Amino acid sequence: MSWTTNLLARLSPLLLPYLVLFCGGVFLTVCQSLGVLTPLPYEGGLLDAYARILGEPSFFSSFGFSLWVAAASAAIAVIAGTLLAYRVWQLPRRLAGAALIYKIPLILPHIAVAFVVLVFWSRSGILASVCHALGLIQSMQAFPNVLYSGWGLGMILAYSLKGAPFAMLLVLALLARFDIRQIQTAAMLGASGTRIFFTIVLPRLAPAVHTAFIILFLYSFGAFDIPYILSESRPGMLSIHVYNLYFKHDLVRRPEAMAILTLMFAFAVLFIVVYSKAVRRLENGVRKL
Amino acid sequence: MIRKFVLLAALGTMLTLPATGPAQPAAAALLDMPFDRIEEQSRGSQVRWYMFGGWAHVNDWVDSYVAGEMKKRWGIDLVRVPMDAGVFVNKLLNEKAAGKRTGTIDLLWINGENFKNARKAGLLFGPFAAKLPNVQRYVDPESVAFDFGYPVDGYEAPYGRAQFVFETDTARIDTPPQTTATLKAWIRANPGRFTYPQPPDFTGSAFIRQVLYAVTGGHEQYLNGWDPDLFARKAPLLWNWLNEIEPFLWQKGRTYPKDSAVLDTLFSRGEVAFGMSYHPPHAQNKIFEGSYPDTVRTFVLKDGSIYNTHFTAIPFNSPNKAGAMVLANFLISVDAQLSKYNPVNWGDFPALDPDRLTPEQRNQFQSVDLGPATLGSDQLDPVAVPEIPSAYLEALEQGWKTHVLDN
Repeated sequence: MSWTTNLLARLSPLLLPYLVLFCGGVFLTVCQSLGVLTPLPYEGGLLDAYARILGEPSFFSSFGFSLWVAAASAAIAVIAGTLLAYRVWQLPRRLAGAALIYKIPLILPHIAVAFVVLVFWSRSGILASVCHALGLIQSMQAFPNVLYSGWGLGMILAYSLKGAPFAMLLVLALLARFDIRQIQTAAMLGASGTRIFFTIVLPRLAPAVHTAFIILFLYSFGAFDIPYILSESRPGMLSIHVYNLYFKHDLVRRPEAMAILTLMFAFAVLFIVVYSKAVRRLENGVRKL
Repeated sequence: MIRKFVLLAALGTMLTLPATGPAQPAAAALLDMPFDRIEEQSRGSQVRWYMFGGWAHVNDWVDSYVAGEMKKRWGIDLVRVPMDAGVFVNKLLNEKAAGKRTGTIDLLWINGENFKNARKAGLLFGPFAAKLPNVQRYVDPESVAFDFGYPVDGYEAPYGRAQFVFETDTARIDTPPQTTATLKAWIRANPGRFTYPQPPDFTGSAFIRQVLYAVTGGHEQYLNGWDPDLFARKAPLLWNWLNEIEPFLWQKGRTYPKDSAVLDTLFSRGEVAFGMSYHPPHAQNKIFEGSYPDTVRTFVLKDGSIYNTHFTAIPFNSPNKAGAMVLANFLISVDAQLSKYNPVNWGDFPALDPDRLTPEQRNQFQSVDLGPATLGSDQLDPVAVPEIPSAYLEALEQGWKTHVLDN
């Protein structure tokens, strides 16, 4: 037995489920998007489903909107997460334990966070009541229409709430191994706090920051649960569109649902490749300490 | 690399290989067996009923009354599994593709598009409906020949009847609109106080079908099956109607409630003036539940209110088809239909033919107190119009997205 076969055999408990479940799923999705192996015999041509989807202007507005929600929420989560992690790391030891509460949103399911946002931010919600009670607004209806603004603010809020602690977790793991003497030296040489953060700390944290961004971005780009609670009708999120096509329409349209999923998957792969290339190019220009 | 692809392809095929081979002999024999032997065979078994689980009162009725009677009369253990119809149809599709001959579902609560999808993909066992003694005795075959224009052919047994109604709070609105035209005038005169669930939601989709009938000259023209020219000619009238009210809807029509549950919430909070439901006792149920005020009443528009029949069906791979048939037969019995008709339990309308009942049985149905919020059949029947064939339904849902939502 060759070395590779041996290795494959030993990896098989992990590889097999991966191949069957993940690759099998992707394979089936791509096939069905082409009208092959569909539940009902499909009469259209191979690329008909793609042509139909790409012929709809609303597909592009949904795609763009999903990108916006994903980019905005991942950026907010990563920025907030990194800054908070840095602050928590600087806390005196006895307070660091208390800071563990940041992990609470991590264990809350996404759907629960969506409900939290709904309960707090709707015009009949808790924040509106508090503002009204404090006399900040004349009536509950004067509260800003956050959930129906047309900008997906509710979803962005929910994803950021859920994503920030995740970014913190990754960043804190790197900070734990950070050599504090570098900061002390910089401070002795007269560097300001901001300068220290941007020139010394941030470049060290970059791997965690980038990883967190990619994961959060792709998750919010494709996920379903938060949009199911918080999204508006137009522009709709892609995941909701796929859900409707898959569960609520005629079986004949199954290839369209699968074609959207395939395009989303292709986009995710492309995004990871382009993002990592861009990051690598940027980092090559940075002086290594 | 190539080997990897071959492996992948093989795995893919394995996952999707259609189930071939003859149907289970036992299942075929079941269709020739006298019903009392089927009952005998199902005694002491377990029946798993997959049904929409979004209504607490219906769940209660199934868990207490239906399960109790099944246990008492046949010793059958009824297990209710809550699942949306679209989801269990997909589950069955996957099981069929994976060649799973023995599934987990014995009975489905189903109708419309989901029935058509399931039937077309060969997911259903049958024809069994005509075998059920209560169907033979009490159901008018004409009334259940089609389900949204798709032939039933005995692959599902009737279970109940529903009709589209509007709801309003009489404490806020004195006289609700009587016709589709006055409804439009009302909406335009009262900006922000009306909306409808976003199709393809079940209720929202029914609302636009009803408007289609009203603004294009009635339902008769659509009942002869799918006619693309007719649709192309008539649908724009509907899109115009809906687009003309859009700026006057809740949230200025920028967004629509995702489903009827969201509309119910808006209505109960008084944000919108009208609720709507495909279930005539819906408002009364909500009053019993405490989520609607006592002053809520139901009304219908004079130019037509859509009705449909809902059914039960048995999957091709049900492990207990005999038990499923006994349950389907019990559900369409006079006892079960009467209990179901009582609004305290549910209020769902019977799918029985009144002419086939004894005077005494008819009396029992007539003496059920539907509650003040539910309309009686004297008000519902005159305006009842049949459902549209499902090809129109699909075209309307897609057209709504293109011409109203994305417009």
